[in-house]
Amino acid sequence: MQTIQPATSYLSTGALVGVVEPSRRRIRLTQAQRRGLWGMLFALPAMVFFVLFAIYPILRTFYLSFFEYSVVDPPVYVGIDNYRGIIGDDRFNTSLLNSFRYVAFTYIPVWIIALLLALALNTRIKGRGFFRTIYFVPVVMSWVVVSVIWKLIFHRNGLLNSMFLDPLGFAPKNWLTDINLAGDAIVLMSIWKELGFFMVIFLAGLQAIPSDLLEAAKVDGANVFQAFRSITIPLLQPTLLFATVIGMITGLQVFIPQFVMTQGGPVDATVVLTLDIYQTAFFFLDGGKAAAMSVVLFGIIALITLFQFWVYKSRVYD
Amino acid sequence: MATSVPSTPSRLGARVGHALLYVALIAGAGLILLPFAYMFSTSLKSLNEVFSTPIQWVPSELKWENFSTPVREHPISRYFQNSLLVAVSVTLLNLLTCSLAGYSFAKFRYPGRDLMFGIVLATLMIPLASMIIPLFMVVKSLGWVDTYWGLILPAGTSAFGIFLMRQHMKTIPDDLLDAARLDGSSEVRTFLYIVVPMSKTALSSLAIFIFMWNWDSFFWPLLVTTDADYRTLPLGIALFESSYGTNYPQLMAVALLAMLPVLAVFLILQRNFIEALTMSGVKG
Repeated sequence: MQTIQPATSYLSTGALVGVVEPSRRRIRLTQAQRRGLWGMLFALPAMVFFVLFAIYPILRTFYLSFFEYSVVDPPVYVGIDNYRGIIGDDRFNTSLLNSFRYVAFTYIPVWIIALLLALALNTRIKGRGFFRTIYFVPVVMSWVVVSVIWKLIFHRNGLLNSMFLDPLGFAPKNWLTDINLAGDAIVLMSIWKELGFFMVIFLAGLQAIPSDLLEAAKVDGANVFQAFRSITIPLLQPTLLFATVIGMITGLQVFIPQFVMTQGGPVDATVVLTLDIYQTAFFFLDGGKAAAMSVVLFGIIALITLFQFWVYKSRVYD
Repeated sequence: MATSVPSTPSRLGARVGHALLYVALIAGAGLILLPFAYMFSTSLKSLNEVFSTPIQWVPSELKWENFSTPVREHPISRYFQNSLLVAVSVTLLNLLTCSLAGYSFAKFRYPGRDLMFGIVLATLMIPLASMIIPLFMVVKSLGWVDTYWGLILPAGTSAFGIFLMRQHMKTIPDDLLDAARLDGSSEVRTFLYIVVPMSKTALSSLAIFIFMWNWDSFFWPLLVTTDADYRTLPLGIALFESSYGTNYPQLMAVALLAMLPVLAVFLILQRNFIEALTMSGVKG
């Protein structure tokens, strides 16, 4: 990082305005320059961490994606072979599809239920603080603890089968070992875990809407649904956008539930991008391929983020 | 929703709606709490009662040794200490690096500032999974595998934290800082005695987030530790699960122990938790 070096070039740009007493120092700095140096100094610690633990590893991932790299031996240049390899790779395609399915099946219900909850709790209803706390509890729990609890809930003789399926006359299901159910089981758990987070985000958005606007609509004869459609939803747009993007980005990086509950199984039914990258790098020792997969994941997330910026600019801040 | 329209002609309708809303909210809260009740109940059961149908919520005999046995026989308390040490150190480091960098980006002018801030923002969207191999190699070449350094330092700053602090510190009036400088206060002193006290809310939000994330941190410790002495609590639980996963009462007891500190902190500081989230979400 250019932290110290620019100071000299800064000097050469002239503008020695508040001339310091000529006799004191060899290098004379204006007040603005001295302050600029302090600014750089303040940013320095964070920047050192950044370069070492973020910027370099990211650039290196791009670089390695063009190499065959076993993590143990030195890398060998192979051009775009890794990218060509993952396009035809069944497991990678499965994990890509699984990740997208996970995001859609988890977050679409979460957004809808969380918005309804937020609307209900944004009234003068009694005990709303209590409800808010309860619904938020799973958010602060660790994913590992939650996964361990739900693994028991999904057990053939666990809570889900014995409390809900059995009394209704259904046969118990093997939630986590059935190819057709394992993905849905993890989705169910994730909805439970993520609901409170989005509820609080939506509540904050709702509370920022001036109440006189809604009052005015009521005076003008609008019913609850009309007011919701033409006032609440438009004003909630930035919040909705934020929630959408955060949900997608978090969902695409999901790792712990699949790692703890199914290890990606049965037969790759729950393998997701992050788990695939981890296993490719550290079990199959194919660092080049894992790097190429990482670049694809990065690309997807970058696209989503840029899309957010674009929508934000073109619609919200018109 | 029903209460927001108290003046509708059909008050009976509003009341019924209100009652239905309550029923739904209570049922939902019940579903949210059910897994915790199940965990607690199972943690006190004997092995042969775990899967009795219909579910036996109150065990015939309370087996408190489900808590003491794993703690005695496995390094649970060590995992606990590791998690605490890592989460506290990372939080303190982040408070320092993020507030300094945030202050720098918000209130100073120098060449390259906007470029650096842009790069910081860009890394916000880069998933950890996208850089694990080189990051692991960096840590390995520093000799930090199976050390606290390896667990703590890579998390020493965060793009999110810098962004949060910068946004907040932009709201501090320049006049105030200039007045302090005119009074002869040094830059460091201005930062410590004016900027930091004025950023208390943002700093406590940051502390809550960083602590929560790192207490829960799993992926990175999984890569960078092979020695049980350096495992963090989530990793220890996952390990306990994979080797003793069939002893459900003990597993639930361990999970409950791991959950309690976070739950306690949350219940005490819940207002701050929710404020922290609101602040980062809506302003960010």
